[in-house]
Formats: sequence, structure tokens, C-alpha cells
Amino acid sequence: MIAVIAFYVFAAILIGSAVMVVTSRNPVHSVLFLILGFFNAAGLFLLAGAEFLALILVIVYVGAVAVLFLFVVMMLDIDFTELREGFQKYAPVGLAVGALLFGELLFALGAWDFAPAAGGLRQTPMPDYGTNTAMLGHVIYTDYVLLFQVSGLVLLVAMIGAIVLTLRPRVDSRRQNIEAQISRTPAQTLSMVNAPLGAGVRAAEYHRREPAARVGEEDV
Amino acid sequence: MNWALALPEIVLALCGMAILLLGVLRRGDTTALCGWAVLAAFVLAAALVATGADGHAYHDMFIVDAFARFAKLLILTGAALACLLAMDWNRREGIARFEFPVLALFATVGMMLMVSASSFMSLYLGLELQSLSLYVMAAFARDDVRSSEAGLKYFVLGALASGLLLYGISLVYGFSGGLDFAGVAQAVASPELASPGFIVGVMFVVVGLAFKISAVPFHMWAPDVYQGAPTPVTAFFGTAPKVAAMALLLRVLGVPFVHVPWIPVVMLMSIGSMLLGSFGAIAQTNIKRLMAYSSIGHVGYALIGLAAGTVDGVRGVLIYLVTYVFMNIGSFAVIAAMRRRGRAVENIVDLAGLGRTDPGLALALAVFMFSMAGIPPLAGFFGKLYVFLAAVQRGQWTLAVIGVLTSVIGAVYYLRVIKVMYFDAPGEPFEARATATSVLVFGCALFTALFFLFPSAIVASADAAARSLF
Amino acid sequence: MVVPLGAYLTVAAIVLVIGIFGIFINRKNVIVILMSVELILLAVNLNLVAFSAALQDLAGQVMAMFVLTVAAAEAAIGLAILVVYFRNRGSIEVEDVTLMKG
Repeated sequence: MIAVIAFYVFAAILIGSAVMVVTSRNPVHSVLFLILGFFNAAGLFLLAGAEFLALILVIVYVGAVAVLFLFVVMMLDIDFTELREGFQKYAPVGLAVGALLFGELLFALGAWDFAPAAGGLRQTPMPDYGTNTAMLGHVIYTDYVLLFQVSGLVLLVAMIGAIVLTLRPRVDSRRQNIEAQISRTPAQTLSMVNAPLGAGVRAAEYHRREPAARVGEEDV
Repeated sequence: MNWALALPEIVLALCGMAILLLGVLRRGDTTALCGWAVLAAFVLAAALVATGADGHAYHDMFIVDAFARFAKLLILTGAALACLLAMDWNRREGIARFEFPVLALFATVGMMLMVSASSFMSLYLGLELQSLSLYVMAAFARDDVRSSEAGLKYFVLGALASGLLLYGISLVYGFSGGLDFAGVAQAVASPELASPGFIVGVMFVVVGLAFKISAVPFHMWAPDVYQGAPTPVTAFFGTAPKVAAMALLLRVLGVPFVHVPWIPVVMLMSIGSMLLGSFGAIAQTNIKRLMAYSSIGHVGYALIGLAAGTVDGVRGVLIYLVTYVFMNIGSFAVIAAMRRRGRAVENIVDLAGLGRTDPGLALALAVFMFSMAGIPPLAGFFGKLYVFLAAVQRGQWTLAVIGVLTSVIGAVYYLRVIKVMYFDAPGEPFEARATATSVLVFGCALFTALFFLFPSAIVASADAAARSLF
Repeated sequence: MVVPLGAYLTVAAIVLVIGIFGIFINRKNVIVILMSVELILLAVNLNLVAFSAALQDLAGQVMAMFVLTVAAAEAAIGLAILVVYFRNRGSIEVEDVTLMKG
């Protein structure tokens, strides 16, 4: 009973926050509602017995993806009021299309029925031992090893892509060359200046010495 | 488990990572080195594909058969030619970076996985590996506003299409009970067994895949992306990913959804693509945009073969794809050679008088344009011939007649390009082009022009490939 | 699973429709479009998990895990392209196509 109530609470909040994601005036609010939605979806996953996925959803989505969105929203200086111009114009059409699509889906899903042979087709029947995480662990490195590796490649491509598109070497930064810094010797940096009594170290002496003292700081 | 069946993909992916490391760690400019290394990796992978064995592996999620092998060789060819074209172009445009060939390589791994997929799970991962690389490649000229706009548009629409495809896959999974192709076909062994939910799932999957081949009504991204992306990337988009997505569509409709009545849907997509391709192209002034509409039209012709749903039809599609890859790469090599004063020009009027200023280039482009129009005895004619024959054999006269009519309309804009080249007053000549570009232009032109001398080998292997699907 | 499968599918269908609706009405605001895509993928995952539980088949959960992975990668690339576009244009409006007509 509690599970049923929990389902409806999670589902209602998920749907409510999904609506807020697409209609909110401020994209920061959209991101925050997205996070709320993901939390509730994780709850739905838990109720369906997919504990591992529920936690992954929280860690990956709330922890990484949503933060990435938030970061971009705040980094770009965007005038969001201007972007909402078409909102009123498209809303009726969008609502109509959405209602139609939903009606169709409900019709199709209402006549829901497993194909007769469905039971025999299971590629990875749910084993009756261990936790959900252990069960997943048993299959992803064996039966699904190829796909596991390919999903690694997908992440690699995302990394290359993000770097290649956005990384720019800065021309005005001074980098530290650690190798040069630790390999310098006293002979390069120190000099004994014989200061005459009362005259002090002359400015010229100081400037002559300066480049050596700066070793290890490269102008990039 | 016979893991060696995926050897070409594994070797290619490892080469990709090694080349990436080489590019990152080696000091100095490694762009050219990485470019050649990627080409060598493609050749190695092609050799492994050609000599590999048939069979299933990886929990029945990976299949190698004559069909997969044929498609993979074609994909590798297209990818290698496009990368060759990119090397000189990127240098001249100042966007030469070693990541470019590496991304093309990973996209190719994804495509090879797509054509070898025998489960919706491997299909999805292959498709996404390919798509993610292509999104980045479209936006690769990152300081060019048109390139980044192309990347953004392609990304938004591509992500939407992937989402719909996935929703379809989830419904198919739920209503049939399996994710592997053979299992789904077995669960829905006759049209009566397909529940409404299953049919909705199939529709979503078809929509997602139609987007990837830019068939009407999911073509809207193609003109903008073709025009905005760097020319070699456009050449790449038009060849390898099209082949992979088309092969995937053939397999998905032919194996898991074989008992679903999808033929009317494919016929509508085919007719729509042919009409839009030929009418949309007429008013275009930008040659890359023209090529985009032309590619939509070509997808329509290839779909005729799919709509026939027979061995001959699939064979026709494969032959069409072979001819299309070479025509397309050749045309884009000519477009890449259109440079004046250090800048690329891409309007049709810029070709004016090319027949006098550069007769060789003009002749090659004329060969490609005639071939795309389907004029015998060029390669494009054979491509169309085999798909039309398959349609006629199935009694689908409507498709064949519309195909011939739109070919005639299409000939108008191809001939317009030729008219501009030979009868308009010459403009300033183009800059000297790189050897690689010349090799691509004339190599593809020779293939297109002399295809009629050696069709039997290609037809025979396409036939074997088509048979392995049924 | 205590809740009937139909309830899960309905929730997923509603989230999917909201996602598509979001793309329709926020045609200028690419960031919200990207979030709508995430909603669509969330709907897919709900479907997969629900079917997985109903069929007692782990394959659905494995698929959902891969979908999560890919969706994260997709978000990273999408935002990278968006940042590049913003640098060039000073705006994230994708609808105003002054440079390319058609």
C-alpha cells in the first residue's frame, strides 16, 4: 500500500516538474526542476526494483549532467526574455500536437498485451540470487562486454568532442615550466655583488641579473 | 564465444586510441601524420573485414554475414576517401587538427557496429557512437558561424530523432519481450500477433532511422547541415553514414520487423523524397545545398528497392549505394577544389566557364552530374536501373513511374550546372588544387564512367549480400 | 512490482509528450530544448525499467544503463556545441536563420 502511494507521489511530482522544466521563465529554474524530476524518477526506478539504476540516475544526472547544464546557463550571458518571444505563439499548436500524441499513445498502450512468445525470448532472464547490482555486474562484463566497451568509446568521443570544440590555448597566460624551475642552479640565479660602501647595489646590476631570476616562467 | 568476429572493429578502435595518444603526446604538428595513420587503419580494417568469418557472437548481439561485410567495406571506402579529401581542405581552411581523422575513425567504428548489429541494444550504441562523432565534425570549423550553426541544428534534431528511436525500441522490447532481432521476429511471427503498442514502436523506430538517412518527412536538417558543415564533412555525411543507416534500415525492416506491414510507409517516404529532392533542388544557387536536395532524392530512389522487399530490391539498394558513394565523393572533391584567393567559393555561378579554364575538372563534374541524373552508360544509371527493375518485378509501377519522372525533372538542375560550366563566360580560374584532391576527382570520375565495364563483380557480391539477409 | 505496468507506461508517455511539447514551444531557447531531450530519454528509461521488471528480464535494465551513459555524453557534446555557437553569434537562438536560407 505504501509503495502504491509512493508511486503516485513520485509520479505526480515527476510530471509536475517536467511541466515546469519546459514552461519555466528562468532556465536556472528549469534545471532545478529537472533535478527534482530526476530524483523522483529515481524513486520510480526503486519501486520497480532497479536499485542500481536509481542510484546511477541520481549520481550521473543530478551530480553531473544537471550541474553541467547549470554551469552553461550561468556561463553564457543570455537574455532569456528575448528567447521567450515565440512561446505564446507556439503553445497552442504544441499543446494540440502533444494531446494528440498522448491520446494515440494511450490508445496503443491501453491495448497492451505481451506477444505470446514473450516469456521465452528473455535474453538475460532475471536471476533469483543476489542484489540488483550484483545481477547487473554479472552480465555487463560478460554477455554485454562488447557494448560496455562501446559505451566507453562513446564517452571518449564526448571527451574529445568537448575538448576539440571549446579548449583554446590562452595567449595571455603565463605558464609554469616546472622542469626549468627545479633544474636551475645557484650559479644561474645568484650573483655576488660587491657593493661599494655607501653606494648600494646599482640598478644596472639588478637588471642584468633579472632574466636568470625569472627562469621557469615562460611567456606563452 | 567467438570474439574474433568483431576483430575489425576492435582493431580499428585500438588504432584510433593509439593515434589519439600519438597526436596528444608527440610534440609539433602531427595532423598529417595522424591523417595518414587513420587511412592506414582503415585499410587494415578493410583487410580484416574482407578476410573475416561469418557468424554470431557476443550474446547474439553481433552478426557478421555477407551483407554486413559488403556494407562495412563500402563504409570504410567512403570514410577513407572523405578523410583524404579533408586533409588538404582542413589545412587550407586553417582548421587542421589531429582530432578530425580520429573522430572520423570512431564514427566509422560506430557505423560498422550498426551494420553488424543484431540486437536493438548494439544498434543503439553503434548509432550513437556515429552520431556523436558526426555532431562534433559538423561543428568542427568552430570559428565559422555557419559550421557551428550546422552542428547545433544537426545535434538538436539528431538528439530528438535518437529519443524517438529509443522510445520505439522500448515499446518494441516491451511488447515483443526481446531486444534481439531474431527473437522479435519470432515473437511477432505474423501481422496478427503485432499489438498496437508494437506497431507504434515500429513507427517510432522507422521515424528515427528515416531521420538518419534524411528521408522525407524527416529531411529538414539536410540542406542546412550540408551547406554549413565544412565541405569534406559534408562529403563524409553523404557517404558512409548514409550507407550505414540505409543498411541498418534494411536489416531492421528485413529481420525483426519482417512480418509488420511496413511497405506502404516506405513507399510514401520514397515518393516524398524523390519529389522533394527534385523540386527542392531547382531553385538552389549554392552547390552544397543543391547536393543536399540531390541526396534526399537519391535516398528516395534507394528506398524504392527497399519498398520492393525482395532480394532483387535489396541488391538494387546496395548497388545504388556503391555508385552513390563514388559520385558523391567525386562531386564534393570538385566542390573542395573550388577556391579563389584563399577562400572557398560554393555558388553554382562560380563554376562559370570552367569548361575553358579547367577542362579536366569540368569534364569530371559533368560525368558526376550526368551520372546522378541517371544517364547511361554511367554508374548512376545502373544504380537506378536495378531498383526500378525490382519495383517493376513486384508490380509497384507507381514507384517506378514516379522514379523515372522525378529523374527527368532532376536532370534539369544537373544539366543547369553543366550549362553554366560550358556556356557561361569564364570567371577567374580556381587555385591550384592538391594532388590528393585531383586523385579523388579523377579516380571517382573514372569509376563512374567505366562502371559499365565491370558491373558483374559488384552485382554478384551485392547479390550474395542481399541473399544473406533473407 | 506492486504498481501495474500500465501506470508506469502512462507516466512515461506523459513525460515523453511533455518533452516533445517542450521542444515545440521553446524553439528559440536551445538550452531548454536540450533539457527536453533529457526528459524524452528519461521517459525511455522509465519504459525500459518497467518492462524489465514486468518481463523479469535484465536486458531492459542493461539497456537503460547504456541509455544513461549515452545521454550524459550527448548532453556534454550538445552543450559544447552550444558554447561554440554562442561564442560565434552572441546568442543561442537557433531559429533565426539569416545566414542560411531555405
